[in-house]
Amino acid sequence: MKSIRRVQKLMTAMLLLFLAGFVFLIYRLQTEAGFYISNASNVSLGFVYDRNGDVLFDPDADAQVYGSDYFLDIGNLIGDNSGQMSNTLVAKNIGRLANFSFMLGEVEDGQSAIYATLDHKVNRDVYDAFGSKDGCAVAYNYLTGEIYICLSKPSVNILNHYEDLDELKTGSLLCRVFYPTVPGSMQKISTTISALESMGYDKLMQKRYTCEGIYTKLNGKDIKCHLDSGHGEQDITEAFANSCNPFFAQLVEDMDLPLYDIQKTYEKMGYLVNDEGNQKYLNINGISAFTASTTLTGKTDFNTQWGCMGQGETLVSPLQMMVWQSAIANQSGTVTNPYLIQYRTTVSGTVTAQAETSFGSQMFSEETASHIREIMLDNGKNHYASLLPGTVVGVKSGTAQVENGNKENSLLTGFVDDPDFPIAFCIQIDDRVKGEVSTSDIAEVLLRNLHESFFPAEG
Amino acid sequence: MTMMYQNRLPYSGTVILLFLTHLSMLAMVFIRGSLVAPGDFLKLTLAVLAMDIGYLLITLFYKQMTYTLDFMLLCILGISLIFQSCFGGVNLSVKHLISCVMCLASCEAGFLLTRNHEWIRRHKIYIYIIMFLLFLAIVFLTDNQKKWITIGSFSIQPSEFIKPCFILVCSASIVELHEKLKIAFFYISKDSLVLCISALVIFALQWWCHDLGSLPTFGMIFLCAVFCRFCYPKAKISKRLVVIGCAVFVLVLVLAWSFAPEYVQKRLHADIWADRYGDGYQQCEALIGIAKGGWLGVGAGNGSLYRIFAHDSDIVFATVCEEWGLLNAVLTVMLILIMLMTVLMNPPKNYFHAMMTVGVTAGFLMQMSLNIFGSCNLIPFTGVTLPFLSTGGSSMMSCGFLVGMLKAGQSPLFHHEAMKRKKQKQRRKTQKSRKQVSTS
Repeated sequence: MKSIRRVQKLMTAMLLLFLAGFVFLIYRLQTEAGFYISNASNVSLGFVYDRNGDVLFDPDADAQVYGSDYFLDIGNLIGDNSGQMSNTLVAKNIGRLANFSFMLGEVEDGQSAIYATLDHKVNRDVYDAFGSKDGCAVAYNYLTGEIYICLSKPSVNILNHYEDLDELKTGSLLCRVFYPTVPGSMQKISTTISALESMGYDKLMQKRYTCEGIYTKLNGKDIKCHLDSGHGEQDITEAFANSCNPFFAQLVEDMDLPLYDIQKTYEKMGYLVNDEGNQKYLNINGISAFTASTTLTGKTDFNTQWGCMGQGETLVSPLQMMVWQSAIANQSGTVTNPYLIQYRTTVSGTVTAQAETSFGSQMFSEETASHIREIMLDNGKNHYASLLPGTVVGVKSGTAQVENGNKENSLLTGFVDDPDFPIAFCIQIDDRVKGEVSTSDIAEVLLRNLHESFFPAEG
Repeated sequence: MTMMYQNRLPYSGTVILLFLTHLSMLAMVFIRGSLVAPGDFLKLTLAVLAMDIGYLLITLFYKQMTYTLDFMLLCILGISLIFQSCFGGVNLSVKHLISCVMCLASCEAGFLLTRNHEWIRRHKIYIYIIMFLLFLAIVFLTDNQKKWITIGSFSIQPSEFIKPCFILVCSASIVELHEKLKIAFFYISKDSLVLCISALVIFALQWWCHDLGSLPTFGMIFLCAVFCRFCYPKAKISKRLVVIGCAVFVLVLVLAWSFAPEYVQKRLHADIWADRYGDGYQQCEALIGIAKGGWLGVGAGNGSLYRIFAHDSDIVFATVCEEWGLLNAVLTVMLILIMLMTVLMNPPKNYFHAMMTVGVTAGFLMQMSLNIFGSCNLIPFTGVTLPFLSTGGSSMMSCGFLVGMLKAGQSPLFHHEAMKRKKQKQRRKTQKSRKQVSTS
């Protein structure tokens, strides 16, 4: 009988295993039913609204109702239900927009909706500020994580229903805020953080290197500065403001800054270093955003040094550059996680999934955050005082060579040092030529309009 | 002995419950169903009731220790007939009605053939012969797809009938007192050798027929048999054999994974939503159908999945969910599970029947998992039938036979009882003949 009992135990185990799988299946069917139904051809979808109630997505949008290019600035961010774009807010949350519930089935006049954190009016102003130039911009509240501005140009006008698909510029269907770009001198923020973490503030401040416009390495390769005459002898604060390449090349070569320390700090900041491990991605309400990657093989290696200055094989997404600003602005070394959805309403109108502020793991020490913050604020005070009059903005600008040096992208990232207006941002202009609209111009529009939206004029 | 077996519900209570289930479902068809002509509904009602009453009357003519399984099978078949008759509109599915009747008959056949474990063990050679004939049938008589034997308008799937045979082979082989032969470095019993060869031939045939969906079911039955071999008190297992067996198992898995045909590899790594109108079509439509149905369904005959290929077999769970709701589908699956669980309430009294019931349970559970979880994209989609609910005469007959085997485990006939009955019969016969002689 003992053997029969054993056999019965085996049967019980099999039955329980099946039951466990069955319960999991029921749970999954119940929770994902919205997604399934959103793939049905005749399903009714809800709207997406911005923080002020402006429509960002209407499944039956019509140019006569909204105007011909009403959705242009958010075309590749919010997207639509056509299936043409997969990494957009609508595509990633389409199941939640379906006017459907497992209990009630399809509800024609359901109230499923998404309320986004975006400010569509300011977003459009910033989009227009790019003029004829392409690029992208993103801004968020570094205390709460709400994304107010997120745009990528060229974009797609979803009201054209993709009839002009062949005429669209490359990258129109992607919001490039979430995709890798060459960071250029913005990378010097990460390198300075690594140096602060490794050496400490006092020791780093003591380091002074001379820039004569060109720095010839031991192997005979040159690292050029953007200022041909050179910056002379500088400390880290001056070199950071001057974005001096020879200074940073010598800093990376310095024996007091082991390459291992740079690699470790970079990894903590979210970089994939030397392809060791898996690429990390930020999840913005389902939208997948690239973080950063680089190759650092040897202290004196030419590519490694350029990698620490944002060229070489270094790639960072504009979103990630902005998110790092929160760790600096908050003086915590911990990033505030960004999000795009403030809350949702279910088919019956119940408010659900109210957003909550969350933080990432500590990337660097509070002390380092405080010092890099001072360095950036110093740069802002001296060179970018006009960005938002009356407010100090911590800033780092950069120029990134792309397409084998044939084009130069201009970048600017920073944060507003004001707890009542805690904005971090990142702006990129593609292929910028002197005399055209600059990242500072865009930043001015962004901050001024956002400030007006935060503190509307009385009367 | 009879007292040891339990009907958890009294006979009358069970009969009432059976009729209530079917009548309430028919009422749902009447209220929410897509009725075109009242005559269709009437035909369906009469067919279900006739099947119920007919089988209950038949059960009065023979004695069993428990009738729980009979009631449950009848209940499930009635539900199945209602489901199948309502897909895409209410209309009695005569073909499925015949399958259900064949399933019931097959259940009785399975019961009668296997209830005396000593008898079946003595005649196991016939099981080997039947299985061998089925192998030959697959090799020589099947169509291009190597799955079906077509006779006129009927198609038979021989691999379905291999399932009960294989379970019987497993049970008979494991239970035997083993006389071991030395083969190479190992001592192995003749019966175990036959079992292993049978398993290998089945696996090879399934591979050859491209019927890989059934492979896990046979694999599960075989694994349970191996496990039970270890549990057997008289088993003396060489540790070396266990290690080598495990290594071979892992190797076979790795090889099968590596050399699986392209279409299998594709299914193992399929993103159905990315290939919605290609290989993922059936599953995507099934999931959309389940979502449309919600908890309570869109009503019998009001669904749209009936337009999809294999809506009544491979994705029948989704079709039922769409029309009857997830709640009804879950309750039906639970009913099948409870039917399997009756073995835990009325445990077998000998190791042969224990082996047999564990094989049947393993086979059913694996097939249900493959069908339900596969069509709902939890595991790769294999396209096997859902026991009792899918159409297909071969599948229904095989399932019926397996339930008969389960019933045999709960209402066994022991050899001495059989002998006693035989003697009683003979005595009655002689008394009768004496009476006749005296009266004449």
